[in-house]
Amino acid sequence: MIVAELKQISEIRKMIDRYSSILVVGCDSCVAECASGGNRETMLLAAALRLSYKNDNKYPIITVACLDRQCVDDFIDRIAHQVPEHEVVLSLGCGAGVQALARVYTDKPIIPALDTLFIGETEMRGVWQENCLGCGQCKLGYFGAVCPVTRCSKKLMNGPCGGSKNGRCEVHPDIPCGWDMIIRRLDALGELDRLSEYVPPVDWSTSHSGGPRRVVREDQKP
Amino acid sequence: METKPRTLVVYYCRNLRLFKNGEQKGFARSLPGLKLVAIPCSGKVEAHHLLKTLAGGADGVLVLACGEKACQYLEGSMRSRKRMDYARSWLRQIGIEQERLEFIHCPPMNREALEKTLKEFMSRLESFGTIPASAQVKTS
Repeated sequence: MIVAELKQISEIRKMIDRYSSILVVGCDSCVAECASGGNRETMLLAAALRLSYKNDNKYPIITVACLDRQCVDDFIDRIAHQVPEHEVVLSLGCGAGVQALARVYTDKPIIPALDTLFIGETEMRGVWQENCLGCGQCKLGYFGAVCPVTRCSKKLMNGPCGGSKNGRCEVHPDIPCGWDMIIRRLDALGELDRLSEYVPPVDWSTSHSGGPRRVVREDQKP
Repeated sequence: METKPRTLVVYYCRNLRLFKNGEQKGFARSLPGLKLVAIPCSGKVEAHHLLKTLAGGADGVLVLACGEKACQYLEGSMRSRKRMDYARSWLRQIGIEQERLEFIHCPPMNREALEKTLKEFMSRLESFGTIPASAQVKTS
């Protein structure tokens, strides 16, 4: 899922202060799971904005809506009746959600309320861990399903760097060493032999270095 | 000319058994500006409820919860305290006194302790004034 964080209210205010009616739109998918843009957080941000404006003796119209997904047109259409009634849409979707709204509602300013961070998993309640960079050529099968591209700070593909201590990365002791995890897991699975195979360096042309990516499947098209 | 009393909203856990049936109305009348809201567990109060209550006109919000180990729903009381801290962090961002939000583990069935807490909190709210500060509402 996409992991994001709510922006500081001062930054949001800076972008929306010029408008007198604001539609705050949440997204009840990935960003709800990471407690940054779901229904609850949408209500929280709307309440915080009302309070913040009230503190400045200003009273713009603030309306709350929450979509099941902000990155799919079928869901985006559900706020079609509310968007024209407001001067601006404040989106609690990820970067993709914000841009999808902008593509559909071409005449309306769409402002992001979140900082989109990474693709990750919920490690435990309140802890989200980055574990996929979207490099475009998944090699998890070689590494016991631990990604060296994201979990190794140096993105090494053929073994540890030698700088880790007690299973922690030398970049920061809070970071577990990706290669320590890879070796322990493959050892537990009895598949350490997989590491004897040489893995070529990552071809970054399939990642973002190759420009914006696009997947087209004719069988899925209307 | 008399200054309008501060509005204090109290969310209290029903399991504290602070009031017998119907008693809370009389109790709320005894302290002007006090609004009592019974909730099944303090854990039901989310950060957005707290901010919405302040945005809706309250000058302060108090959450009365059972002790952490006494929560009937195990984690409700503990989670409520964390949410209160989170809501306070929003008040700091906005520039409003975070002490307008208060969380207390209240001893069950202890009305005297409750009255003392409410009076102390009310007097603290008096010192803060209204939100916004310029909106001092007065009645003649």
